[in-house]
Amino acid sequence: MRLTLFVCLIIGALINYAAGVDPTNFKTCEQSSFCRRSRKVQSSGSKYALIRGTLNTYTDSVTADLINKENHHQFTMKLEALVGSTFRLQIDEKQPLRPRYRVEHALKGKPETAQIRVLESDELTITSGSAKAVIQGDPFRIDFYENDVHVVSVNAKNWLYFEHLRQKAQAPAGEAADGGDGAQQEQQEQNSDAVQSPSEPIDEPGTWEENFKSHHDTKPYGPQAVALDFSFPAAEMLFGIPEHADSFALKSTSGTDPYRLYNLDVFEYIVDSKMALYGSVPVLYGHGPQRTAGVYWQNAAETWVDIYTTETNVVSSLVNFVSGSRKSTPPAAHFISESGIVDAFIMLGPKPIDVFKQYAALTGTHELPQLFSLGYHQSRWNYNDERDVTSVSAKFDEYNMPMDTMWLDIEYTDGKRYFTWDKFKFPEPLTMIKNLTELGRHLVVIIDPHIKRDNAYFFHQDCTENGYYVKTREGNDYEGWCWPGSASYPDFFNPVVRDYYASQYHLSKFKTVTEDVMIWNDMNEPSVFNGPEITAPKDLVHYGNWEHRDVHNLYGHMHLMGTFAGLQQRDPNQRPFILSRAHFAGSQRYSAIWTGDNMADWTHLQHSTKMCLTEAVAGFSFCGADVGGFFGNPDAELLERWYQTGAFLPFFRAHAHIDTKRREPWLFPERTRQIIKSALLKRYSYLPLWYTSFYELEQTGEPVIRPLLTHYPLDKEAFAIDNQLLVQQRLLVRPVMQQGVSKVDVYFPAIDDKKNGDYWYDVDTYQRQERAGYESIPVDENKIPVWQRGGSIVPRKERQRRSSKLMLNDPYTLVICLDRQGKAAGTLFLDDEKSYAYRDGKHIYVSYEFADNQLTNRFIGKPQYKSEAWIERIIIAGLGHVPTPATITVNGISQQLEVEQRNGAIVVRKPAVKMDVDFALKLNN
Amino acid sequence: MRETNLELILLAILTYTLNAVQCGEVPRPRGVSLAKAALYQPQADGKWSCLDGSKTIPFTQVNDDYCDCADGSDEPGTSACPLAQFHCTNKGHQPVEIPSSLVQDGICDCCDGSDELPAVGCANTCIELGAAAAIKRRNEAELHKRGAEKRQEMISRGKQMKADRAARRSELNARIKEQESLKVEKEQLKQNAEALETEAVEAFKEQQRELDAETAQAEQEPQQMRVEASLSFVRYDTNKDGFVEVTELMVDMNLDRDRNGVVTVEEARYFLDERDRMDLDAFVTLAWPRIKPLKMLADGLFQPPKAPAEEEELPQAADVEGAELHNPEPSEEQADMETGAAGEEEDDGEDDEDQYDDEEPDVGVGEATPEVETTTAAPAYDPETQRLIEQANEARNAYEEVARQIREIEHEVKEIDEQEGKDYGPHEEWAVMDGECYTYEDREYVYTLCPFDRVSQKPRNGGAETTLGRWDQWIGEGASKYSRQKYTQGAACWNGPQRSAIINIKCAMEPRITAVSEPNRCEYYYEFETPAACDSDAYTASAQSMHDEL
Repeated sequence: MRLTLFVCLIIGALINYAAGVDPTNFKTCEQSSFCRRSRKVQSSGSKYALIRGTLNTYTDSVTADLINKENHHQFTMKLEALVGSTFRLQIDEKQPLRPRYRVEHALKGKPETAQIRVLESDELTITSGSAKAVIQGDPFRIDFYENDVHVVSVNAKNWLYFEHLRQKAQAPAGEAADGGDGAQQEQQEQNSDAVQSPSEPIDEPGTWEENFKSHHDTKPYGPQAVALDFSFPAAEMLFGIPEHADSFALKSTSGTDPYRLYNLDVFEYIVDSKMALYGSVPVLYGHGPQRTAGVYWQNAAETWVDIYTTETNVVSSLVNFVSGSRKSTPPAAHFISESGIVDAFIMLGPKPIDVFKQYAALTGTHELPQLFSLGYHQSRWNYNDERDVTSVSAKFDEYNMPMDTMWLDIEYTDGKRYFTWDKFKFPEPLTMIKNLTELGRHLVVIIDPHIKRDNAYFFHQDCTENGYYVKTREGNDYEGWCWPGSASYPDFFNPVVRDYYASQYHLSKFKTVTEDVMIWNDMNEPSVFNGPEITAPKDLVHYGNWEHRDVHNLYGHMHLMGTFAGLQQRDPNQRPFILSRAHFAGSQRYSAIWTGDNMADWTHLQHSTKMCLTEAVAGFSFCGADVGGFFGNPDAELLERWYQTGAFLPFFRAHAHIDTKRREPWLFPERTRQIIKSALLKRYSYLPLWYTSFYELEQTGEPVIRPLLTHYPLDKEAFAIDNQLLVQQRLLVRPVMQQGVSKVDVYFPAIDDKKNGDYWYDVDTYQRQERAGYESIPVDENKIPVWQRGGSIVPRKERQRRSSKLMLNDPYTLVICLDRQGKAAGTLFLDDEKSYAYRDGKHIYVSYEFADNQLTNRFIGKPQYKSEAWIERIIIAGLGHVPTPATITVNGISQQLEVEQRNGAIVVRKPAVKMDVDFALKLNN
Repeated sequence: MRETNLELILLAILTYTLNAVQCGEVPRPRGVSLAKAALYQPQADGKWSCLDGSKTIPFTQVNDDYCDCADGSDEPGTSACPLAQFHCTNKGHQPVEIPSSLVQDGICDCCDGSDELPAVGCANTCIELGAAAAIKRRNEAELHKRGAEKRQEMISRGKQMKADRAARRSELNARIKEQESLKVEKEQLKQNAEALETEAVEAFKEQQRELDAETAQAEQEPQQMRVEASLSFVRYDTNKDGFVEVTELMVDMNLDRDRNGVVTVEEARYFLDERDRMDLDAFVTLAWPRIKPLKMLADGLFQPPKAPAEEEELPQAADVEGAELHNPEPSEEQADMETGAAGEEEDDGEDDEDQYDDEEPDVGVGEATPEVETTTAAPAYDPETQRLIEQANEARNAYEEVARQIREIEHEVKEIDEQEGKDYGPHEEWAVMDGECYTYEDREYVYTLCPFDRVSQKPRNGGAETTLGRWDQWIGEGASKYSRQKYTQGAACWNGPQRSAIINIKCAMEPRITAVSEPNRCEYYYEFETPAACDSDAYTASAQSMHDEL
């Protein structure tokens, strides 16, 4: 008996110490029959053509029929022009045996269409503003132009592949007898008198049923894949399609599996991998010096994306960029989805920021978050009990470190029954919450989608009685295995279920929290421990009789919709904060995301910037990675560098696995504690910039953090850089993410092709970088290499508080860094940091401009928020001289202000002007 | 006029924080303690120097909500300087210094409310808090005083134990010397006796062999013969079918009569009286007489008898201190078995066994084997030889007895040395706790602390006990070294480190565990109280020094 246990321990240890994910738990393209089939077309090509005489022209769109010339199956094609140089291309079967799924809820609303002009000759030319589409009939192909520059082609490679729905070929008599699949036969009978459609059999295993490991997929509707290629003639590189633990620049998939988009709970994921992760955002961009364009492939089924670049790696592409020659075929992407229709949005730019905005116009942005959620979050699986939570919070005060939010992972619940508390560990949650909120802090608790199958659990009772769970093919409630043990999964696609779910958040139902407690939705891929690939079987049935196969990547999104509605209804005056692991296009409207269960090693730290950059351009600016790494124990140096990196990613949360050692900052030596504290203080000092950036994200769709190419599109050397990031166009951040280094190479991007760069000012010393190119920058353990762009003005708050909420009335510091012309500009947004009043204009939005030795402010909209805050100092870097003194003029009345030199900048002492007051500040020579 | 206007427009916020704030009797800037009041006096020209001397500023800029000094000394009463400290006078209670980050943030941190603007409406709670603190201090002092009396007892007992150990240790030293020389003597006697014995036995064997040649079979007692034969039968009958077959004999190389390395079928059949197989009776009468001589040849004939010696030892052992550790063990277990004890009790037994498995070699509890009987079947010697054998046995026993005595003394010495090696505190006040155990139950587990030995955890709903750690050392910092113990090398965690435990110790009248937690996986924290921690003098001293600081 004891021996057995011992042996088990050894075996267990061996399994557990094997590093990282077991890739064989997840499918390869070869193991996924639709991917295998669709990929074949890459060698043979397909033959689709427009059917003459079927063209219909409307004010904003054209439609026509398409035919597969090999099997004569017919399709309808619709090309619609949208406002903002965007086209939408939809292709569906003309008369499908049953409806094919069309993604809902991903777009923020019905896209606004634009008028078109149509010119019909040999080809069909559709013009809308500066955007133009040219359709060729045979073979079918569309070329898209932005201001007459060819930027995207659809089906240029003839890889369009559309598996029409078909009846299962009659099996030989003997086989049919014991095949005995009732539902399938019924289906066939129903369709026996359907339109006569050519249905050549697809003669391959995996077509009508498919096995993976011990799991069987019944595939009652047979093959139904859709695939299409997009070429980017003006592009040098491709990026996008999160979520992958991979470089920002997409790599060629020739000789490898395609990038996979299928929301999965991957244990100890590996980096530099095209494997699927928790989120799927099927938007992809092609970028070249002259043009940037994008494609949003709106499909929620399992999707694989093949990437064709002429080069296989960044180094050789750089060589090619430098040589400037490229006659070969342009980069292209082949999207392959298991079901649904072709629904592609082609965004024509022309510049990177334009495409990002075009995508944001379709799927939306995160709304302005409450300020606290941009502060520092302290999480761990798990803070064990009330005393633990209270004492960790108190320790932050003892060590005088700011902290905004404490998090509770699954152990706070009563046996993983969400919306309940463990009454022994948390007998008085309301008191505990009050202890936090009295200090301006918040609490976030986890609410996962899986529901414990416990007949005494009200939630399970309700879902069972009302039929709210996702169903099996046979119509029973699906049962999977997750944290609570046996669990079922609410069908959030059903609006009634979402309403029910939302109502559970109401304080009259969830009485043991307050309106200041926000929500973490985890495991919503959904994670099913005993399911195929740790998720739900594809033949489950959702609301509307759709298969899970059709909607898988949207499940988390629908979960978030329910939570978001719940929090808004709970307190209409507070902007909800939700963190989600699963996400799809559009989920950014409801939640922040993090990069999931990463590991405490340097490569995962490095991937935090790569992954968040990709997420940011795909709509998810509110992105972060678990500081310290979820699995494993970081050493002091790794933890220090991770805090420094996390401080400059939008979502800043430390989190750790239950088996790791505690790693709150005070558990480390003084040195580490100080480094972490100064990283935290730096984060808090920049909160006004983060906050303003998020306001502007909501207003414009411009990402908060950006890859260098966003503002330096001409600099080919900057394209693939993903260990540096821009915060708006104001900061350049290059966190130290390597072990034991005393210097880092930082790339200062060029604004033109003559290697001219912006001025960049070190935010600690105001030392100026004047030339573009790589610079070796010395770093000590305290250094976070960050520069402010010459030409920008950054608002900061330099007073330390326990939490961001307590900074509300604290004064601002304006940091002005001058460009070559001695000019700078920058905005500041402020409001109550919490409610929706800003949407009624209760805010102050101000643009500061500095030119000719004078700083002025200009309000954008009328300042209607009453703020106690004021400007305590103005720092100006890049002046040739030290002026004494400065003169501030308010309402025609002037006063002298002291000016003092500090480091490489001058400091104007205490203008003391309130935020909603017009002023002019003149530097005297 | 112009100035006033400007101030109205620009500086509405600053009115309260300006430096002219009065604090009690001595005028000084807000946030400055009485002790430092003298440092905040303007110079004749109305200027003032930062306390670090880094800069000189107009005195009006002290507490003007703008940080001028690198050391933050110009803003003791505002939040403007990151390094500044705000002094809460807290009249009626203890004054404290709070960091500037807590000043004017809307939260009342000083009990007199002085860190916030009046608009916040902080209540002055210093009097109540002061009174409550005084009561608490009094209670604690009283507790320490009364606890110290108990501690004093523990100290005397601890010191007595130390003295006892020292005395016992030197007694044992003397005894071990005695026994060592006795051992040399006994060894000599034993060797002499054994020499005589060997000689006599050899002679007897020689004689016996001659005798055997004639009357071997005839003189054997049939009964004894049958016993031997039966045992052999059982051994040979490997398939347990009640017959010994040819093939079963063929494995015994002793039966290889022609020494060609193989027991042939013919050879085997010879022993079976040319049959294929034999039952027990036939074997006893027909086969065994043929097999036995070969067996005896192979085994040799003589084995010194030793079973009786062991039997004699046990009653004596009970007299020796230290052996009682093992003695209750078997009896308890037997009791359990006899009464068919309930599951829980059985668990206890198993756990105890675990415990000893770890450290002690198996002491051979209640081992009974059939072999015992066979050894009694010694040949009957002639009286003279028998006498010499008995003498040799006595000499051997005497020698063994001395050796055993030495081992026991050494064991006890080791135990004493181990105890001496443990740090029972500066005054031996913790010594009495070695050997005690304390338990604490929470929702799921029963936690045990046996000071200076081990800590463990056992699920309340049954299941095995897990060692959380074994005594390692005191780990309190500096003067409070004896406020914290560490136990390490506990059972290894699943996929993790070995368990360990830290014991935080406070003064109380009765020893008990007040809480157990596991903040890190596999790292346990016990909160433990005992009068041994009630050091009244140290408490008074620290309370005094705290008071002096104030």
